Amino acid sequence: MAGIFVFSEDPALTRQLLTPGLELKRALAQPLVALTRSSAEAGALAGLGADRVVLLRGAGAPEALAPAVAALASAASVVLVGGTLRGKHLAAHVAATLGAGLSTDARTLRVAEGRLETTRILYGGLAVGEESLALPAVATVPPRTFPAPAPAGAAVPVETLDVAPDARVEVLSTQPAAGEGVDIGAATRLVAVGRGFNARADLDLAVDLAGALQAELACTRGIAEDEHWLPVERYIGISGQTVKPELYVAAGLSGQVQHMVGCREAKVIVAINKDERAPIFEAADFGIVGDLYTVLPLLTAALKD
Amino acid sequence: MPNILVCYKWVLDEQDIKVRPEDLGLDTSRAKGKISDFDRNAIEAASLLVEAQGGDVEALSFGTQALKLSVKDVLSRGPGRLTWIGDPAAETADAFVVAQVLAAAIRRAGPYDLILCGEGSSDMFFQQTPVRLAALLGLPCVTFVQKMTWADGVLTATRKLPDGTEEVRVAGPAVVSVLGEMNKPRIPSLKQVLGASKKPSRELPLASLGLAPGDLEPRAVRRTPKGFLMNRRNIVYKESDPAENVARLVASLKAEGL
Ligand SMILES: Cc1cc2nc3c(=O)[nH]c(=O)nc-3n(C[C@H](O)[C@H](O)[C@H](O)COP(=O)(O)OP(=O)(O)OC[C@H]3O[C@@H](n4cnc5c(N)ncnc54)[C@H](O)[C@@H]3O)c2cc1C
Repeated sequence: MAGIFVFSEDPALTRQLLTPGLELKRALAQPLVALTRSSAEAGALAGLGADRVVLLRGAGAPEALAPAVAALASAASVVLVGGTLRGKHLAAHVAATLGAGLSTDARTLRVAEGRLETTRILYGGLAVGEESLALPAVATVPPRTFPAPAPAGAAVPVETLDVAPDARVEVLSTQPAAGEGVDIGAATRLVAVGRGFNARADLDLAVDLAGALQAELACTRGIAEDEHWLPVERYIGISGQTVKPELYVAAGLSGQVQHMVGCREAKVIVAINKDERAPIFEAADFGIVGDLYTVLPLLTAALKD
Repeated sequence: MPNILVCYKWVLDEQDIKVRPEDLGLDTSRAKGKISDFDRNAIEAASLLVEAQGGDVEALSFGTQALKLSVKDVLSRGPGRLTWIGDPAAETADAFVVAQVLAAAIRRAGPYDLILCGEGSSDMFFQQTPVRLAALLGLPCVTFVQKMTWADGVLTATRKLPDGTEEVRVAGPAVVSVLGEMNKPRIPSLKQVLGASKKPSRELPLASLGLAPGDLEPRAVRRTPKGFLMNRRNIVYKESDPAENVARLVASLKAEGL
């Protein structure tokens, strides 16, 4: 059956996908089909403008449902998948099965001349590129790119389908991250740290500055993923968090594009780096060339005065 | 003793790409090539595995003739041999085409116990090639791997999830994509660099892979990208007296109402 199919294992993201889905439905005059794994969510989706809601019943990891989703959407014009790690896996499998193009992390989606046109980020954030995809086409959409649609019309009935997951990959155990549940995205001020810090204990300098500024602590990927000095939910960038604070103080971080793409909408960016040629200075409103071990304590003291 | 294939992409170093302020075009004239960042982690992972328990690592890449520049670099990082396909079609290839080409080359040269790829290339970051390869080759796939071990033909891997990790097990052959945090890619020693020139590398013509014209037709067509320009004030305090710099910064922040 032709149609626009949306899927995410994350209920909030499935709802967000309905917004571009409804646009594509209008443009292509085809039904909108929402696939979900959550029975609680299926009812909610039914009242949000989808023409069909299919509850996929079957054990296994979400990406293991890829063959089943591909079979279900075998005649789809467009398949939209929530751009989580698992979603990206599933989407690539579906695209390969359909022999379709796939736009990863599409920020905009529209139909023109019978093709799906998307925009996405390239070169780690240095550029924005447009892609034009033949139908059938698949796209993944990052979380929070679109708001969920408002309730519309009568709720459609929910269909239930038993699906067999790809059982070749056996899940032995799952460990939740030892996160603190902090929402960096909500902070109005951030002090971000990078590899200019020599040791974990030295982050106290940034903690003190954050205290004086009433800011939250953020970091680069290396600090979170390689050093494990701060939890992963605090790292900013293309593969981390996107933030929009009033003030972003970057200390001892170089300002590579993959990091800056996550904070470039900050109102004011301040850089502290000992290397005058560090790219962070081009991305900053104000900067100090100097050793963070000298500058941060002075700055903290000056702000407390 | 696994027989490992590791795929890599030769990309422009994004640090050397400049955005032209006039038209937001990308100036790549000074950009050097590099092995895509996460592919270096994949190569390192493969090399560490066979250095510890024996086996073979072969590298595979599809790109333009510029790939020739990568041969020594790749072979000095551990793989025992290299197969590469250099063709202008790589210029406009999307992930669909790349996977068709790599899968065709793998079908000819394989089988392999493990096929390793990076999480995504540092230029396009499509994050599709490993999964597409697995689908085309009919193999299971484990993505976003942080840690892995191989024993008796079985891969045990720790995958990253948005809110934690997951341990999985899969019998080989399988396709795996590795994350940047998996390891620190080596800086090849002089001995490794010299050894690289003795290792075999062969170029496979694209035409020899027996692909249909449709297999080489991108499903996603890219338009010329537009650069993103930072529009910031770039006021930098760099007096020799740190206290002076700090005082000026604090004054500036006050003036901003911060
Ligand atoms: C595909 C891809 C995705 C990526 N995604 C992300 C992402 O989401 N987020 C992210 O952050 N990175 C990401 N990266 C990595 C990114 O490219 C950079 O490598 C990283 O952001 C650099 O981290 P850093 O600034 O901490 O370290 P470095 O680049 O090593 O910078 C350290 C800086 O500290 C300065 N310094 C050193 N000592 C001092 C001192 N005593 N006082 C003052 N300054 C000092 C140095 O001059 C230097 O500029 C990604 C990379 C790739 C390829």
